[in-house]
Amino acid sequence: MLTEFGKIFVFLLVAVIFVIALVIVAWLIRPSRPTKEKLMTYECGENPEGSPWVKFNIRFYVVALIFLIFDVEVVLLIPWALVYRQFGLGGFMVGAIFLIMLGLGMAYEWRKGDLEWERAKIIPPVIKRPVFSSKETREAEPVKSKQLV
Amino acid sequence: MNVDYLVNSLYLIKPELAIASALVLLVLIDLIMGNNKKFLPYVAIAGLIAAAYFIIGQFGMNSLAFVSKSNKGMIIADPFGAFFKGIVVFASLFVVYFSIKSDEIKASFERHGEYYTLIFGMILGMFFMISASDLILIYISLELVSFSSYVLAGFTKTALRNSEAALKYVIYGGVSSGIMLFGISILYGITGSTNLYEINSLIQSSSIPNLTFILSGILIFVGIGYKISAAPFHFWTPDVYEGAPITITAFLSVASKAAGFALLIRFIKITFIKSVDSAGYWQLVDLIDWKTFFIFLSIITMTLGNFAALWQDNLKRMLAYSSIAHAGYLLLGMAVLSNQGMIAIIIYFAVYAITNLGAFFVVMLIANKIGSENIDDYKGLGYSQPFLGVSLAIFLISLTGLPPTAGFIGKLYLFIALVDAKMITLAVIALLNSVVALYYYIRVLKNLFLSRPANGTFEFKVSFSNGLVLVLLAAPIIILGIYFTPLVDLAKNSMQILGF
Repeated sequence: MLTEFGKIFVFLLVAVIFVIALVIVAWLIRPSRPTKEKLMTYECGENPEGSPWVKFNIRFYVVALIFLIFDVEVVLLIPWALVYRQFGLGGFMVGAIFLIMLGLGMAYEWRKGDLEWERAKIIPPVIKRPVFSSKETREAEPVKSKQLV
Repeated sequence: MNVDYLVNSLYLIKPELAIASALVLLVLIDLIMGNNKKFLPYVAIAGLIAAAYFIIGQFGMNSLAFVSKSNKGMIIADPFGAFFKGIVVFASLFVVYFSIKSDEIKASFERHGEYYTLIFGMILGMFFMISASDLILIYISLELVSFSSYVLAGFTKTALRNSEAALKYVIYGGVSSGIMLFGISILYGITGSTNLYEINSLIQSSSIPNLTFILSGILIFVGIGYKISAAPFHFWTPDVYEGAPITITAFLSVASKAAGFALLIRFIKITFIKSVDSAGYWQLVDLIDWKTFFIFLSIITMTLGNFAALWQDNLKRMLAYSSIAHAGYLLLGMAVLSNQGMIAIIIYFAVYAITNLGAFFVVMLIANKIGSENIDDYKGLGYSQPFLGVSLAIFLISLTGLPPTAGFIGKLYLFIALVDAKMITLAVIALLNSVVALYYYIRVLKNLFLSRPANGTFEFKVSFSNGLVLVLLAAPIIILGIYFTPLVDLAKNSMQILGF
């Protein structure tokens, strides 16, 4: 009668109903006495410090990206290094081109100054409101984004 | 272990190699020259010309690259691919020229190195998309194109609509490519292979669970449909086309779409075909009813694109909707599922590429001077700038598909293919759609030639080189509209897909 998928469907249905029933029953029979401590965000017993919506310095992302590139490089290079003797010249060339490409990426980061932590203060771009518009003539009141540290 | 087959196949991907080396060269020059960016476009053009030279060589080829014991080949070198790569290179050449002249791009001068590098990344992705015969490679190349275009869409950074365009593009692109990947994984789960030729021979011989297979086919189409902006997946198109710098809009609307259509045709024709009968109609495997699917999709796409374009005041946005409508017409050629339909698509695309590039070029030249893309600001432009006005008129008439221009030839072949396949109703619907399209294209011309300027006249000159490029784009439209044999011959030569 039931197909294999039908059984899975029944299983999922039971799981969902079971969870909903448990939550409702618990809500019905438990006492409800909220206090300030209970409602606070749990941070391993410490008092929460500020809002979690903090802006991070954008340079952390750049560092993470650079890390990712070299991480992938290592993952691909270790198997290649183990067997490239068997591949002969062709295999060597494939690896060499890959390395040159990555080196180019490294040179790019270096030249563009992404490896320097101390950098000149970045002037935030002035964002113009509708660039081309004839009807709305409210001329670009620049939106200044807040300077990050 | 042997990797020699990799090295031995390299001669089949010479255009891709040329583009890749040009990309590396661009990065190097950008790094060495520092603030001197004026050589970059010339290096880009040189790389493109080298690629074009190798592409012409590919017209005679018919073979698979990277064939190993476990794989029937990852890349196909055939005339069909060569044609679409040609379109991409053609569009790129003009886009590089537009970029030299565009004020929007000039303003963000310090990032020009990244700009040309990303364009080349996109070209490389499109080349692989056009010639891939393996689902993995198809997906990777699609992502390469997408990633580069996300960044390029938000390239100017200082305009609000620019960032909006980039963000919307990323979100839609991410979702649809995720859906496509899901479809690919189902297809792999059913057949156990990622090679299109192997999947084809498998689904011909063994019984396949029907419903799951339909699901996977439709899901894969979502990714392709997003690239060609077919109707239910078109939502990003108007916003991105309006917000992106004009050069990138032109590039997306021509090159990216060309790659998408090449991928679509190759995917359908290689994966699902059973045989091609003597009249050139494709007998597909009986699993997915692609014909009905394409008919519905093309009707929705055409109608939606044309009717939404009626209300647009921004010329760039209007051209975006018109490009959705054109995707609908092109899907008509797919719905026929025949070699004739494919020839029609190829002819239509060649014409569409030239015309759309031209239209965007005029919009860019005018925006450079008057700082607006609004149709109302074009009033009386035809009098003060007869040259720009007349060329815009030629491009728009060709987009409508009226007789003296090449756009008519494209539509003509499309409708002939439809009538031959006894799909008269569809042809009538498409015809009625063209009538709707006439209204919004002619509205621009009315503003150009029949209205008086609201505030003053436009005092500017079109420089000699811009004029020359404009003539280069406008002349073929008129010439091919009258003498179109070479175009048809080219299309007939380039409809050969390897294996069929």
